[in-house]
Amino acid sequence: MAVVAAAAGWLLRLRAAGAEGHWRRLPGAGLARGFLHPAATVEDAAQRRQVAHFTFQPDPEPREYGQTQKMNLFQSVTSALDNSLAKDPTAVIFGEDVAFGGVFRCTVGLRDKYGKDRVFNTPLCEQGIVGFGIGIAVTGATAIAEIQFADYIFPAFDQIVNEAAKYRYRSGDLFNCGSLTIRSPWGCVGHGALYHSQSPEAFFAHCPGIKVVIPRSPFQAKGLLLSCIEDKNPCIFFEPKILYRAAAEEVPIEPYNIPLSQAEVIQEGSDVTLVAWGTQVHVIREVASMAKEKLGVSCEVIDLRTIIPWDVDTICKSVIKTGRLLISHEAPLTGGFASEISSTVQKLCRIEDYPFYKRGKQTKKSKLLGQAQWLTPVIPALWEAEEECFLNLEAPISRVCGYDTPFPHIFEPFYIPDKWKCYDALRKMINY
Amino acid sequence: MAVAIAAARVWRLNRGLSQAALLLLRQPGARGLARSHPPRQQQQFSSLDDKPQFPGASAEFIDKLEFIQPNVISGIPIYRVMDRQGQIINPSEDPHLPKEKVLKLYKSMTLLNTMDRILYESQRQGRISFYMTNYGEEGTHVGSAAALDNTDLVFGQYREAGVLMYRDYPLELFMAQCYGNISDLGKGRQMPVHYGCKERHFVTISSPLATQIPQAARGPGYGIMSIRVDGNDVFAVYNATKEARRRAVAENQPFLIEAMTYRIGHHSTSDDSSAYRSVDEVNYWDKQDHPISRLRHYLLSQGWWDEEQEKAWRKQSRRKVMEAFEQAERKPKPNPNLLFSDVYQEMPAQLRKQQESLARHLQTYGEHYPLDHFDK
Repeated sequence: MAVVAAAAGWLLRLRAAGAEGHWRRLPGAGLARGFLHPAATVEDAAQRRQVAHFTFQPDPEPREYGQTQKMNLFQSVTSALDNSLAKDPTAVIFGEDVAFGGVFRCTVGLRDKYGKDRVFNTPLCEQGIVGFGIGIAVTGATAIAEIQFADYIFPAFDQIVNEAAKYRYRSGDLFNCGSLTIRSPWGCVGHGALYHSQSPEAFFAHCPGIKVVIPRSPFQAKGLLLSCIEDKNPCIFFEPKILYRAAAEEVPIEPYNIPLSQAEVIQEGSDVTLVAWGTQVHVIREVASMAKEKLGVSCEVIDLRTIIPWDVDTICKSVIKTGRLLISHEAPLTGGFASEISSTVQKLCRIEDYPFYKRGKQTKKSKLLGQAQWLTPVIPALWEAEEECFLNLEAPISRVCGYDTPFPHIFEPFYIPDKWKCYDALRKMINY
Repeated sequence: MAVAIAAARVWRLNRGLSQAALLLLRQPGARGLARSHPPRQQQQFSSLDDKPQFPGASAEFIDKLEFIQPNVISGIPIYRVMDRQGQIINPSEDPHLPKEKVLKLYKSMTLLNTMDRILYESQRQGRISFYMTNYGEEGTHVGSAAALDNTDLVFGQYREAGVLMYRDYPLELFMAQCYGNISDLGKGRQMPVHYGCKERHFVTISSPLATQIPQAARGPGYGIMSIRVDGNDVFAVYNATKEARRRAVAENQPFLIEAMTYRIGHHSTSDDSSAYRSVDEVNYWDKQDHPISRLRHYLLSQGWWDEEQEKAWRKQSRRKVMEAFEQAERKPKPNPNLLFSDVYQEMPAQLRKQQESLARHLQTYGEHYPLDHFDK
């Protein structure tokens, strides 16, 4: 009932924005109200609604994919879905309220364009949405399911973990539901509280057989979503809802793919590696600027993009280079995905695992090889004398995450791992 | 909605039910009903009526405070064609299946029964790790399988192997899966009885009943056309499935068949059901209302079967099962590398590393592992 009321709440605001859905007509409507536009007339700081904890940084206009158009995140999702339905006649989109355009406008116009047999509503039943999606994916259709909020994915958890993820393995590859993609709004939004703010990626990280992908921007979202839809494994695509309108940049109109399981180094640096995904990438980007300005520290910023299977190599190579790692996510600290990254990184980088790089003092050998001081490619035959070649972390790995509480409402500004907490953790690592 | 329908049935009986059915058919459905209907916002709205205006409600108001007792509403009647002695009750419902088809139904059920007995025993002897029998439920499997096309995709649960048996899944492959040997199409990954076959359009069985539960609940409550049948009556199951399939395809809507039956065997080899049910009850079903017996009576009364053929067939089916069983037991298990494949379509780098680390581990500690039984 509360779910229906909450969803209805979103819906009413959207309906107010007009059935054709031109958001710009009512600038104060919907999600953006209040927290992106601080109340102009109220003097009292205590009464002022929260401004966003991040600043979206668009990427430079992509040139290699043809003509682009300014799109925000929900429009880039619509564009990806439009491309999919256009080129794949078996593709269908379904979920709660997707027919009229979706509570976040991600499916606007698609039912009119492709028909009611390809874009349709389901009952309020997440188990059924995913179960149905698995069923049609098994028959060969491209199933694009929507779970209205990631917070509501749990009734479908059994279907995802016990059915979708295991379909190929348990049948000896006789059957699979690889053409299933589940999309879901994810992450904090300023006022979402317990049931409209969750980041459940860690629950799914523990499940071999599925892929979990989280974009940081409209351009990334479209390319990653298209890759998920085309990937031959069931994928979960979490869309940071706070970015639906707040993030806008040039996005190619034609389809394009961004590879899964590849992290992106969006800024190179030498002193510390910062890793995040989704909205938090913009937070750590700002932290990198702060570090440069206030501490003279050079940060390497990495967007993980795919949570599982995750790009261990890129992270490890970066940490071998810098010697320091900070990982940040909104989800609670204990058991959050930062713990997996932290464990893997501190254990790896032994010679058997990464025989090609060693960070350390320059040696006669590395000089002979003509390499930079802190990064020495290694040919195994030269290694006999240097046995102690495991990763030498300069400081313990830092995790800046949400607290181990449910996501609170009024306390959100205190709960989230904002730039000040990240900056402080970074400062401590540098001074370790 | 379930309450509305139940209420309608109590106070309005048939009329209420058809009203409810009409309303259900008018609901905009996810699967797009063939008939067109106006969107909800444009339905006639007459506030002059004193009837309930709740969208989707078909009930009337009542001014007497009364709670509905859960078991007072009469149950949905159970469709059957044969009586317990295998005699056709209403000749117009006799599907008049040809002799070969009825014999195929009979032989599928009895071969399954024979295989069940032998494999259950083999678990008791420690030769396979686990088994689940199908005793008592064979009629639901073969009756429905016979009514479907061979290319219809079946999502079975763990006690529906009769569908595969009817579709001529070889004994060798049943056994291979139970033994997890090198011939198992499932590559040794699942517990016994989790069969699957792409060619026979039978999706691999999984342990959880998750996929079945939401649909197994009351069909009318979910707005699905439903029927309840005597699952131990192969012809009733056949007729219901045949008609449901025809209409599902023609009308593009789902149909729910609740096949009533009784599980005669224990849940599995890990279960002793005498702990929670009476032996008398089990005996009743085994002796008085068994799908195999009822069909056999029918066959006998048609003159299509006799005691000699019965004896010969029992001997033959037992021999076939034993042969397959002995062969399956002798085969090696699949290569341990198959532990790692098919998690994804492509093997992720981290998993390959784990595969390599097992290989290295076995080089040193291999003597502690049953490598001799596995393919090199």
